[in-house]
Amino acid sequence: MMASKLWVHDPVAARHTAPRQYLHVLDGLAGKVVGFIDNAKPNFHVLVDDVADLLVTRYGVASVIKHRKGGQVAVDEAVIARFAEQCDLVIAGSGD
Amino acid sequence: MASESGPRLVEVPEDIALFNRFCLEQRWGDGLPLVPPTAERVCEMLKHTRRAPHEVVATIAPALGLATVEAIAINAVLAGCYPEYLPVLIAAAEAVAVPDYNLPSNQTTTNPAAVWLIVNGPIARRLGVNGGNNCLGQGTWANATLGRALRLILQNIGGAFPGDMDRATQGQPGKYTLCCAENEEANPWEPLHVERGFARDASTVTVVGPLGTWSINTHTRTADDLLRVIGDTMAFPASSDYAYGGAPWLIFAPEHAQILKRAGLSKTQVKQGLWERSKLAVSRLAVEDIGHMKNARAGELGEIGPQTLLPVSVRPEDINFIVAGGAGTHSVYLPNTGHGRSVTCEIKP
Repeated sequence: MMASKLWVHDPVAARHTAPRQYLHVLDGLAGKVVGFIDNAKPNFHVLVDDVADLLVTRYGVASVIKHRKGGQVAVDEAVIARFAEQCDLVIAGSGD
Repeated sequence: MASESGPRLVEVPEDIALFNRFCLEQRWGDGLPLVPPTAERVCEMLKHTRRAPHEVVATIAPALGLATVEAIAINAVLAGCYPEYLPVLIAAAEAVAVPDYNLPSNQTTTNPAAVWLIVNGPIARRLGVNGGNNCLGQGTWANATLGRALRLILQNIGGAFPGDMDRATQGQPGKYTLCCAENEEANPWEPLHVERGFARDASTVTVVGPLGTWSINTHTRTADDLLRVIGDTMAFPASSDYAYGGAPWLIFAPEHAQILKRAGLSKTQVKQGLWERSKLAVSRLAVEDIGHMKNARAGELGEIGPQTLLPVSVRPEDINFIVAGGAGTHSVYLPNTGHGRSVTCEIKP
């Protein structure tokens, strides 16, 4: 005998799906300014210091700028504006 | 804003045990039995709001899921809520999405961050939300299902599935449900919603992100001693509130609240008293944690040495409390993540 069925609403909601666009795609790292948002987790700054050295010495990055957050909070709008103005590429720390 | 499409309809087994196995496979639940969100049940719930089903109430991090009125109702049915509870959950969804609440962090942290719902105003009595005896414990349908429904909203709409985006190391039992009313009849001061600028006859829900509940059992009869032992209980070195300058919460037992009130203390004075008596010497923190704390609080506190006394929050008014519970000498401390702030929203039809 077939088991009885019923219809229910899926509780998993639709996601926000606004189209995302890259402002521009980098043609390389040479001469570019790279930004790092440090999420203040242990050793992130140590890792970033090493990566920054590699970016400059091996890939010709012009400079690296860093910002360390006060904790697990959103970055200040002023910092976002400064990075948007100065950087060609920004990498944000996430998780532990 | 409105969502373009309604929820997907899914064919499931009618047998309740098989339905729950299906939900388990879909990761729709919290590990406890669920109620099938049929069109009839969801429709019945939607009768309890004037808002349109496809209206987007909030975008829930981290998945940026669209919490439409209908999606909230579906999860409320799933959790076992009575239809008349819906307006509370709509307000709660609005509240958690306010940036001050810091939901992206709360949803994804390794901390055991729960969401505590505090219901104030006439609706608490009308819906039977318990603010008295055992109000954080078992036995009250509204407390059990409202907190549970918000958890399902955060999971199914917000995408914070345990072990994936929800990175809690252990979590805590309060992540199943954590909801109560304030015991306004036993509160000798103005209730929370009035303190926060709402009319006394307004109904509100406040969302808080506590990391746990800790009973403070003291038989003292003096206000000064009561503030001292509660302040001392608040001051523990592995606390995120001290690391970042937080916003911790307390539930005063009615008996403890009466001691403070009889001493002539206002809410503001109680907060000031706790703030002064809960300071923690930096030397009690682990070396690595001192580094974190300095990174977060140097701007606020200036030069920080081993003997510096850390306040639990930046300002005394950042300490919050309600009065709840029944007879007994037990108040409750609820430390927070240090970053999030509680948010209160009015519950509207």
